[in-house]
Amino acid sequence: MIVLEDVWRTYEMGEEVLHALREVSEPIPDGEHVAIMGPSGSGKSTLLNIVGCLDSPTRGRYQLDGREVASLDSDELAEVRLHRIGFIFQSFHLVPRLTALENVALPMVFAGIPPAERRKRAEATLERVGLMPWAGHRPGELSGGQKQRVAIARATIMEPGLLLADEPTGNLDTQSGSQVLNLLDRLNGEGKTLLVVTHDPNVARRADRVLVLRDGEIVRRVEGSQVSDLATLFGET
Amino acid sequence: MTGSDLMRFAVNALAQHRRRTLLSLLGVVVGVVAVVSLTALGEGARRFVTDQFASLGSDVLMAMPGRNETTGGLPFAGGVPNDLTLEDARSIERQIPDIQRSVPISASTADVSRKQRSRQALVVGSTPGFRRVRDLQMLSGSFLPIVDLERGAPIVVLGQKIARELFEETEPVGQPVRVGGSRMRVIGVLAGRGVQMGLNLDDSVVVPVATGLRLANRASLTRLLLEVRPGADMEAVKEQVIDLLDDRHGEKDVTVITQEAVMSSLSSILQVLTLVVAGIAAISLTVAGIGIMNVMLVSVSERTSEVGLLKALGATRRQILLIFLLEAVLLSLAGGVVGLATGWLAVEVGTAIYPSVPATPPMWAVWAVIGVSFGTGTLFGVLPAWRAARLDPVAALQGGH
Repeated sequence: MIVLEDVWRTYEMGEEVLHALREVSEPIPDGEHVAIMGPSGSGKSTLLNIVGCLDSPTRGRYQLDGREVASLDSDELAEVRLHRIGFIFQSFHLVPRLTALENVALPMVFAGIPPAERRKRAEATLERVGLMPWAGHRPGELSGGQKQRVAIARATIMEPGLLLADEPTGNLDTQSGSQVLNLLDRLNGEGKTLLVVTHDPNVARRADRVLVLRDGEIVRRVEGSQVSDLATLFGET
Repeated sequence: MTGSDLMRFAVNALAQHRRRTLLSLLGVVVGVVAVVSLTALGEGARRFVTDQFASLGSDVLMAMPGRNETTGGLPFAGGVPNDLTLEDARSIERQIPDIQRSVPISASTADVSRKQRSRQALVVGSTPGFRRVRDLQMLSGSFLPIVDLERGAPIVVLGQKIARELFEETEPVGQPVRVGGSRMRVIGVLAGRGVQMGLNLDDSVVVPVATGLRLANRASLTRLLLEVRPGADMEAVKEQVIDLLDDRHGEKDVTVITQEAVMSSLSSILQVLTLVVAGIAAISLTVAGIGIMNVMLVSVSERTSEVGLLKALGATRRQILLIFLLEAVLLSLAGGVVGLATGWLAVEVGTAIYPSVPATPPMWAVWAVIGVSFGTGTLFGVLPAWRAARLDPVAALQGGH
């Protein structure tokens, strides 16, 4: 369960004060699939980073699973990111010198899981995203879609309850994009909460709920049957 | 994150930038080789010199004319301001019970010739005790016989080199030679001993002390070697000798030194030399350390987005710090090991070419090198690693693009 209450994120740039987020209050129940839309600079990524405990609000409260995130120290935050949250980035962020399998196993290294078990779990997870034949390949030898599926395998290896995807299909063609989205849908279907930041109405349409941000504020919430009409509602984005 | 995970991660990262890794390694290697070979040289010089003086024997006092307040007076180098006589030598032996043997020495140079061959040589005038004190071996014939101190018999013992140059293959014992214009009979040849205390006995001839004084045209001895009874207190005996000579001369005009004093002052001078040289070499290690820091700073800024990713994946600050610190430590330790091996090889080659200098890197230098290279890695690795650990994950993730 994610609870955001009157969250502000403010940057001071010299004289100017920039509000990346203002007055964001939003409960997100477990297992929900939420898309976050809005133009560039509207605060989508800032919101995702705060939910992912990479950034913290200037004002307001953020509770994750009943815990006040502001009260956690750096080690506790690392622990939360390790066990509770899986990140998926637009540009994949794989470590180039490690193989696909090693990339997937990386969070388990930080968790101190013994090598034999790491290998077993990483192989099983790679198998689930259909990339076991590429286990020994480095990211440079994989296509964009394959890289993103490796990244998804890595994000899910610690069995987190919350997946955060920032433009997951932004660097992919339509076909590998829909493969990635199907994979995310499947994970959401298994009960994981899914937050997707996107420009693309076709990506947002898969969500249960869409939040539309403008200048750091949630200006619109689209739910239920209206979501499937997004393409017509937001044709201009 | 276990040690082997950390190690694999660090080695992997270093292997990614092979040229950069090798160049920064080279810096450490050069520094370490400098430390190892320079301290080996310094230590070699120290041993070379102290070995020379060790041959004097630890139970021997040396008296020489002339007052010298410092202990650093070099034997066989001073002038002769006041007489140290054969009578002094005799009375010391008689009146101080702890002196077992008093060996007077006169030194001068003279031409030693046989037929048409002539050589300038150091003429050492002494007594049979000289052989005992200096532990001399005979190649042939015999050493000086026990005679009255004042009797200047025309007999001579040749150093090995002089004997070979004057007589070649012929047996010198029993043959006549001329020493400084006097005709003398060769009674023995010394076995080769090389240089001792700056005195090359191979290049010298030994004659009875009275003969030596006559050849030098002097009444004063150059040196007096005093063998102290085993177990006696060297310092106390030294005071007794000084007091006795003070009584006899009416003033303190003689310097008495122990081998220990000479050795320790020489040894400490040379040790300071070694330390200075090691210090200079350590500067190059520090420069290498700064090189490592530079490489690690570049590495951290290049891998900013990787650091952001690791944080997003759940790595703690400590884990990130350790990852980068270990890379720096590995760099410097590898440099240290390669440098030690190279330095050791350089020393081996050096001693093969110049066997007379026993150059060996002292153990303390080896440990210091290992410690310092580990230390530089840690010291100069901390700042970049700390910087990596403190990076803001959001900015770091964006920093890569």
